[in-house]
Amino acid sequence: MLAYLLRRLGLAVLTVWAVSVLSFVVIQLPPGDYISSYIAQMTASGSFVSQQEAEALRQQYGLDKPIWVQYMRWMGMVMQGNFGMALEWHRPVSEVIGDRLWLTMAVSGAAILLTWLLALPIGIYSAVRQYSVGDYVATFIGFIGLAVPSFMLALVLMYLGFTLFNMNIGGLFSDEMAQAPWSWAKAWDLIKHLPLPAAILGLAGTAQLIRIMRANLLDELRRPYVVTARARGLGEWRLILKYPVRVALNPFASTIGYLLPYVVSGSIIVSLVLSLPTVGPLLLRALIAQDMFLAGTIVLLLGVLTVIGTLLSDILLMWIDPRIRLEGRK
Amino acid sequence: MATKPTRREFLRDAAVVAGGAALAGALPAVTANAQGAKAPEAKIGSQLIGKLEGPELVLDAAKWPKKFAEAPMLADMVKAGKLPPVEKRVPDEPMVVKPLQSIGRYGGTWRRGFTGPGDSENGNRIVSTDKILFWDYTGTKVMPCVAKEWKQSDDGKSVTISLRKGMKWSDGAPFTANDFVFWYEEVYLNKDLVPTRHPDFMANGKSGAIRKVDDATVVFEFQDPNFLFVDILAGSTAIGGGQATQAQGGRSMGAYMPAHYIKQYLPKFSSKEEVEKKAKAAGFDGWVSYIKNRWDWGLNPELPVLTPWKTVSPINTPTWVLERNPYYMGVDTAGNQLPYIDRISMTLAENLEVLNLRAIAGQYDLQERHTALNKLPVFLENRAKGGYDVRLDPALNGSDATLQTNQAYEADPEIAKWLHTSDFRRALSMGIDRDQLNETFWVGVGTPGSVAPAESLPYSPGPDWRKKWSTLDVKQANALLDKIGLSKKDGEGYRLRTDGKGRLRLELQTSAGAFVPHTQIAEMIKEQWKKIGIQADVKEMERSLFFTRAASNEHQIALWANDGSEVLFLFPRHALPLDPIQALLGTPIARWFASNGAQGKGPKDPRMISALELYRSANGKKTQERYKIAQDIWKILVDEQYSIGTVGLSPATMGVRIVSNKLGNIPSRQTNAQHARTPCSSHPTTFFYKA
Repeated sequence: MLAYLLRRLGLAVLTVWAVSVLSFVVIQLPPGDYISSYIAQMTASGSFVSQQEAEALRQQYGLDKPIWVQYMRWMGMVMQGNFGMALEWHRPVSEVIGDRLWLTMAVSGAAILLTWLLALPIGIYSAVRQYSVGDYVATFIGFIGLAVPSFMLALVLMYLGFTLFNMNIGGLFSDEMAQAPWSWAKAWDLIKHLPLPAAILGLAGTAQLIRIMRANLLDELRRPYVVTARARGLGEWRLILKYPVRVALNPFASTIGYLLPYVVSGSIIVSLVLSLPTVGPLLLRALIAQDMFLAGTIVLLLGVLTVIGTLLSDILLMWIDPRIRLEGRK
Repeated sequence: MATKPTRREFLRDAAVVAGGAALAGALPAVTANAQGAKAPEAKIGSQLIGKLEGPELVLDAAKWPKKFAEAPMLADMVKAGKLPPVEKRVPDEPMVVKPLQSIGRYGGTWRRGFTGPGDSENGNRIVSTDKILFWDYTGTKVMPCVAKEWKQSDDGKSVTISLRKGMKWSDGAPFTANDFVFWYEEVYLNKDLVPTRHPDFMANGKSGAIRKVDDATVVFEFQDPNFLFVDILAGSTAIGGGQATQAQGGRSMGAYMPAHYIKQYLPKFSSKEEVEKKAKAAGFDGWVSYIKNRWDWGLNPELPVLTPWKTVSPINTPTWVLERNPYYMGVDTAGNQLPYIDRISMTLAENLEVLNLRAIAGQYDLQERHTALNKLPVFLENRAKGGYDVRLDPALNGSDATLQTNQAYEADPEIAKWLHTSDFRRALSMGIDRDQLNETFWVGVGTPGSVAPAESLPYSPGPDWRKKWSTLDVKQANALLDKIGLSKKDGEGYRLRTDGKGRLRLELQTSAGAFVPHTQIAEMIKEQWKKIGIQADVKEMERSLFFTRAASNEHQIALWANDGSEVLFLFPRHALPLDPIQALLGTPIARWFASNGAQGKGPKDPRMISALELYRSANGKKTQERYKIAQDIWKILVDEQYSIGTVGLSPATMGVRIVSNKLGNIPSRQTNAQHARTPCSSHPTTFFYKA
């Protein structure tokens, strides 16, 4: 068991390294570099940079060196826990991401929580009361949630919020709180701003999970062990919740591997539309600006989170699914 | 967004405005925009364009106030002993501004939106009164700014600047000629910081110098006549742009710097180890990147500045906050120290839709950036609810969407041949229905025409040149194309290449994320060109890729504005290929021009050569002669149609102004131009909250 874990960890490190090389290459692929995009941006906003200034900047950032030298330089820094300067932000990458990582987790965490809170009971209900009115209604709403792109939903809700309720538009804090240091008032301000993005982010996922839960549970409900248990007089709800639901939970657990990176990146478009200060827009921006230290670090972070997530979901699956556990014993 | 219903509502709203204005007998003067527009929207749109007005400087020292007053927040600090009294802070020779309407009251926070650290211009353009010279509110007359006065020598080889006596940095240290000399000797001539000399500080390719006469007098000197240099000092240029703008984003220009503060980061004044140690401790990889961070006013709140507001919460945080500079040199005619407004708070908008929606909701007090012209109907619809008004400030450049034909294109010899043929370019230009573009993308408030700048400017070649080759004439366009040998067409009516390789296809390269929707405009032009049998392929790309492709000479025709070109000699890159950093008319030509023929490839076209020669001769000429040269250049450019203009003289770029009803001293129209640093030539220091 320990040897297995160690092997997995070794592989994980190797995977992360491969991810770092790949991500660096991918970020370098588009023509031009940070300086050319910096110039383009300055021009688009009515300022300008001269050729001399551009050359000096290129030298200063080491962008005139070959790509592998740049990669080695970056990895050398990462090894020491220094992720470099975010070129566009003129701040250390860790600082730029750090600010936003917690907010991202808050938003995505709320979205996931909401998804599960809705999807689990509805999925169970839909399966147990298959073809009932409730099932149809849930299915219908679910499909709409699945079909409407979340960015559009975000736009519509934001517009309605503005026209009907005069709500604050976009962002996770009200203006006066955005700069304030952390306090209970600020946390409460955050909580007040969370429901909208969480609902928008959660809706598509909810529909998906309802369908998965319903299908899985339907399969399980017809199994002989359910029939047996019922024949032996076990209470209906207790029976369903204790056995088939637990087995049907399998997809929930196995998606945790993707859940963690989703926590960081899954909300890019919605975050952009709602102007949320999360990691998503940061990644997009870094890629557009070809800010390789920042983009590279975020991609690396996503890689690491996926690896950790996969490990976690394996462990969790062993716990909830006896079949996997028994297989492991052999 | 569906344009139909909003357009209708826009009409209704605008009609109400027009009616109201007419009733009040205060119909605003309609400028150039009314002409050439037939649709009703155009006339209504121009009702939002007011009279050009702005605050004026009092230049007569006898009329300057002798007693000064200050903002309550500063008075409190004086009482607490944290600041010297206002008489000790304001210079003996202050910059006296006569506010547009009335003396204002102190206080308030100006709320704005910005799009992140790349949007530094958002703040720069408000605080730009740290320039040595500046333009008046009309954008046509040079005024003193940080300088009390200036004098150009008769031979044009030097400009003497007299500073305002008793002027101070924002930390209270005296501002003197030494700060200029320090910048020149320790920064500009430092090879680590400025590897190559800057063309804005040159005449005939020879670098200028700065000399100190006494503590309050500096001289800019050149080996050859440089009559243009006064304009360069007043313009938005590398040498004259002021410290706030030109020492930001890793740049190193601006003609002066706070020597007493910057010194500590230079190896010369301590030691290389010392400054490297400081840089490492702050998380930078070397002293060069650290010092560039330290002299950036948006990043470093400790930096002493001359601007009316200074950074308190840096630009790389979610809210960029500026606060009044207690030592600002400006006062109003009653002796009140400017600015009136205490703070400027800019909140980060991750995307432009959110920014526009916030503007509509009245969450900004004054915003003229990123507010899109095509959202005008929605802006108008929500005026009452948001508590704001909308003003349009048309710019003076000829064309917001300009088809720049690559005059150095080589990759496809057949296409290259046509792009280098005058009659082909003229035909393309005459195949464009500019009125339709104006209606669709400029809601009718632009002016169709060529690339030539506004007729109100001394640089304008005259009214005929706005129209020349630049009105829809399908018949003549077809005739020209037939004449030059493109008469064969395929089954669908498109013209064929002469080398037998099928249909003639032109690539129109556009950039995502400009102030104007270039890609949609290109799509419409593509449709219009069907009538003259030309097939266009629109290729949109991310904006840095757009410029990278142009730099490697890959594009055929690229769409971009020609903003800044209205004052040709201060910002020529969108009119002529001469700066390799951005030359959509042909990077190899620009490289050839910039290197005096050592690199790149010169143009074959004799008229392009003469345009570039005319440009080069301008530095040494006096003002009136320079105007003449500019007019001659524009005549060549319009006649040759290297750049094909569509619609311009419009407010599309930074000219849609959302103004809170609470603000006073706001001009009903302001000069919208690069060199006037819009909105700074309206002196935002005099804006105030009415109650």
